[in-house]
Amino acid sequence: MTRFSISKLPSDIRNRCLASALAATCGLAGGASIASALHKPYPHLLLLGVCFGVAFGTFLGPLISSLGAGLIWGEGAAFLLWLLLPARAMPLWNNGALPANTMLVATRQQLPELIAYLICLGIPVGLAVGIYNSFTAAPDRTPFRWTRPIISGALAGILSGLVFDRWTLAGGFSPILAGIAGLSSLHEYAVLQTGMTLVLGALFGLLFQRDIRSLGSSMSWGLGIALTGWFVGPLTLFPLLRGLPLDWSPASVSNQFGALIGQILFGLLLGFTYAGFDRAWVLLFIQSDPLYKKPEGPGLHVFRSLLWGAGAGLLGGLVSAPFMFITGVLTMIVGTGTHLSLQMATLIHLTVSTLIGTFFGVLFRNERPGAGLGIAWGSLFGLIWWYAGVLTFLPLVTVGALDWRPKAATMLLPSLIGHLLYGAVSASFFLAFERRRPSQPAGATLLETDTEALLPKSPAPALCLFALGLGVLLPMLLA
Amino acid sequence: MEQSQLARWFIRRPLVGLSASLLVSIILHVSGSRLSISFLSASLLAVVYSLLVRPRPPAYIGNAMIGGTIGIVIWAVSLPLTAGRNHTLDAGFMRDNFGSLIGWVFFGLLFAFFLQVFHRIILHILGGEVEVPKVTTTPLRIVILGGGFAGMRTAERLEGLLKKAPGATVTLVSETNSLLFTPMLAEVAGGSLEPSHIGTPLRGSLKRTVVVRARATAVDDTLREVSLMAAGGVSQVVKYDYLVISVGSVSNFLGLKQVQEEAFNFRTLVDAVRIRNHVIQKLELADKETDREIRRQMLRFVVAGGGFAGVELAGSLNDLARGILRNYPGIDSSDVEVVLVHSRDRILPELTESLAKYALERMMQRGVVFRLNTRVKDASASTVILESGALQAETLIWTAGSAPHPLLASLVFAKDKRGCLLVEKTLAVQGTQSVWALGDCAAVEDPYSGKLCPPTAQFALREADTVARNILATISGKPQSPFYFKSLGALCVVGHQTACAELTIPFSGSRSVKFSGLAAWLLWRGIYLTKLPSAERKIRVLLDWTLELFFPRDIVQTIDVR
Repeated sequence: MTRFSISKLPSDIRNRCLASALAATCGLAGGASIASALHKPYPHLLLLGVCFGVAFGTFLGPLISSLGAGLIWGEGAAFLLWLLLPARAMPLWNNGALPANTMLVATRQQLPELIAYLICLGIPVGLAVGIYNSFTAAPDRTPFRWTRPIISGALAGILSGLVFDRWTLAGGFSPILAGIAGLSSLHEYAVLQTGMTLVLGALFGLLFQRDIRSLGSSMSWGLGIALTGWFVGPLTLFPLLRGLPLDWSPASVSNQFGALIGQILFGLLLGFTYAGFDRAWVLLFIQSDPLYKKPEGPGLHVFRSLLWGAGAGLLGGLVSAPFMFITGVLTMIVGTGTHLSLQMATLIHLTVSTLIGTFFGVLFRNERPGAGLGIAWGSLFGLIWWYAGVLTFLPLVTVGALDWRPKAATMLLPSLIGHLLYGAVSASFFLAFERRRPSQPAGATLLETDTEALLPKSPAPALCLFALGLGVLLPMLLA
Repeated sequence: MEQSQLARWFIRRPLVGLSASLLVSIILHVSGSRLSISFLSASLLAVVYSLLVRPRPPAYIGNAMIGGTIGIVIWAVSLPLTAGRNHTLDAGFMRDNFGSLIGWVFFGLLFAFFLQVFHRIILHILGGEVEVPKVTTTPLRIVILGGGFAGMRTAERLEGLLKKAPGATVTLVSETNSLLFTPMLAEVAGGSLEPSHIGTPLRGSLKRTVVVRARATAVDDTLREVSLMAAGGVSQVVKYDYLVISVGSVSNFLGLKQVQEEAFNFRTLVDAVRIRNHVIQKLELADKETDREIRRQMLRFVVAGGGFAGVELAGSLNDLARGILRNYPGIDSSDVEVVLVHSRDRILPELTESLAKYALERMMQRGVVFRLNTRVKDASASTVILESGALQAETLIWTAGSAPHPLLASLVFAKDKRGCLLVEKTLAVQGTQSVWALGDCAAVEDPYSGKLCPPTAQFALREADTVARNILATISGKPQSPFYFKSLGALCVVGHQTACAELTIPFSGSRSVKFSGLAAWLLWRGIYLTKLPSAERKIRVLLDWTLELFFPRDIVQTIDVR
């Protein structure tokens, strides 16, 4: 009689089985942690954790090729699970439906579950599969070089930390260290924050170096890691370090909303600077080699992207203008209560749209996604501008102060509609302009590889759903 | 796009999208969901989405997540429409519609997933969405002779037109490995531009065309093959199904053998580089020469031919020779003389008389000497003999005439009295079904004037477009279209920041606008800069021109001269 042995299975099936088993184990532990943290019955959550782990390892495991990809897929999957079960999207499986207009209140009560699912299920299961797959990578895969992500990431962390320090410490608070107490002086805060940003930068590089293709997508990964950091740091780890019990209640989480925006801005800055250092590294040490030199110089590519971005931004501005008008934000100057005439407001809107479009062009010029992912990146860009522009930059310019309270974000929530539409439309047109030119010829280095071709294995869709979903949900839930 | 392909695109994709949308709606309904989404809007969006977004490789989960993300955007955009006039669109209204946010996320998620599933099923049942054109079923060999404007543009256009026909091969046979941008050749001779900056490598510019560096020596249309001679005397035979002849022209020395031996040619990059180095060499030698007459003989540069090439070269050489004189203290500016010899009573016959007169006056002001109504009869190492007398000069540059490429003499196709190939209005060579000719080597009739088209790049490029389209039409069994192009005008640089321009006014018959001076010169530079192939070359030339504003011309000799 032939005895079954897992070692006799083909390597890909064996790896998938082992990844699923590992994920199921992590899921089991995660389920137990959730039950413990939320004081819920163990059996349900243990079963949920195991099912999540098995499903994750089986269906998403083959898509995960790195630690960072595992993290993002894990978070995306946990977010979906939360939407599906606690948020009661599928009432058939969830004891009946709620009327749509009361869903927000009910969902707000499920906020602790969201955090628990992310912290106890999504992140550990994703990381576990990511680690496992990193060690069992196909032999023909490009070897991972540690130097570039660590150096670029550390430099980016220090630089963005310094920029962020000067800004936030002047205001007397540090979103990155929100929740940590016991430091006696501002100097200690600054040192600790710089150290932490250095580590975060290097970690960012290690996690996402393989997935980052442009400044824009790097900012989006920055947004993703910022959301993760907010859940892990100020909401979980820092209170535990202070010996406090976990408090994931909506009211407590609302108190950390300012830290969320601060973390998001830091994430964006980190992503941007990291991609900048990384591109500089590629330009200086890889593309300067005649063997890898592109037939077309980077300057020209940037110039062309600027033009396409400006055109796409203008068109995005035209399409989003009626929505901005309907929501009442077109004629309003943020934070001042001053209103402009419709003509002047439209002119300013279109000018700003064109200008921001050039940013989009430069930021996403190396992405070359498919149409669907392109629209998703564009929407994420719109969200980034809402956080960085409407919530931060514009109030700073117009009234000279920041207001990162949930209430202030709620006031500005309607303008998010126009921003999302602007991003999606601009990205679509940019893509259309970009498609008119042929993609990079064969032999392009990894950085220039067409994302479309890598879509089946790229965690970008999970990042888009996770970051955009939470980016939109949190201001609504925490108000 | 082919009609059948359009039909597939417009029918198959929306149907697949609608089916996926319907299935998701059923799932959401059966699950007891009260998620408030409008299924009518959802169906419409599904159709739009499936039309715009190409079916992807099997990335079910990735596609689903993208669908979910787009669902958030659709929710946001749908809010103003939902609000109508009865509600204020504020944060409260948005919170009240939180349920529809979740609904749209899940609709997008499931829709994108099932769209991918249905596309896979349809792919298995009906095959690919893009129909491979009939032309790809049999291998096709298209051979283009000549790597000038006409040949390269034909190859570029064919690459685009035959994108969906991997079975077709395009071979370009060229005597050089780059496309020379001839309008700027005089600037290379004058030292304003680096030689390689006005040449575009054929291999880099053409993506799928096979570039063969060789000279065509014979064409056998019966066997459908072209004999080639590569460097080192290596011969090769290339078979074709369709042949394009765009070999251009060569200098015509009118049977003056001694002139041919003594004169510099002015057609290639090497010619231009050689002329520049020769001028510098003469200045080097003249600087040491104490006999003024010998010095003047050394520094007299005779250009034969008063057409565009001759005038631009004379202007450019004059600027070069006089511009670098400060480096040669032993030479007086009156020792330098650029002489332009022309057989007619006025230069630039391509332009109107007033512009030609302007060019003549401006060039004379800058020191160019003209010998009109005379021809070069003979030449020796130190003398150029004109019909009107002899000139003591050690430099003669020939731009006075051109003849069809020698290959044409060996061809059996119909030719005119100059030896150019006679072509139909479709540019097909008379009496052939699969051979086209264009550019300087073809006698193409200008549909407007009834005369022959001038041998300029603007005509060559448009002829190439016609030929490429007609080759595709022939392959597809469709009728060919005639060549139809009206000249845009002419521009000629006559010296430092001075040019003449004669531009055709669109839709005004044969009327044109004429102007000269700095504006015309700026226009010349602007137009030709945009016409330069590849952005990289444009930037290099622009940098050369910018540097020239601030620094003197380089007098480094790069090659040995005779």
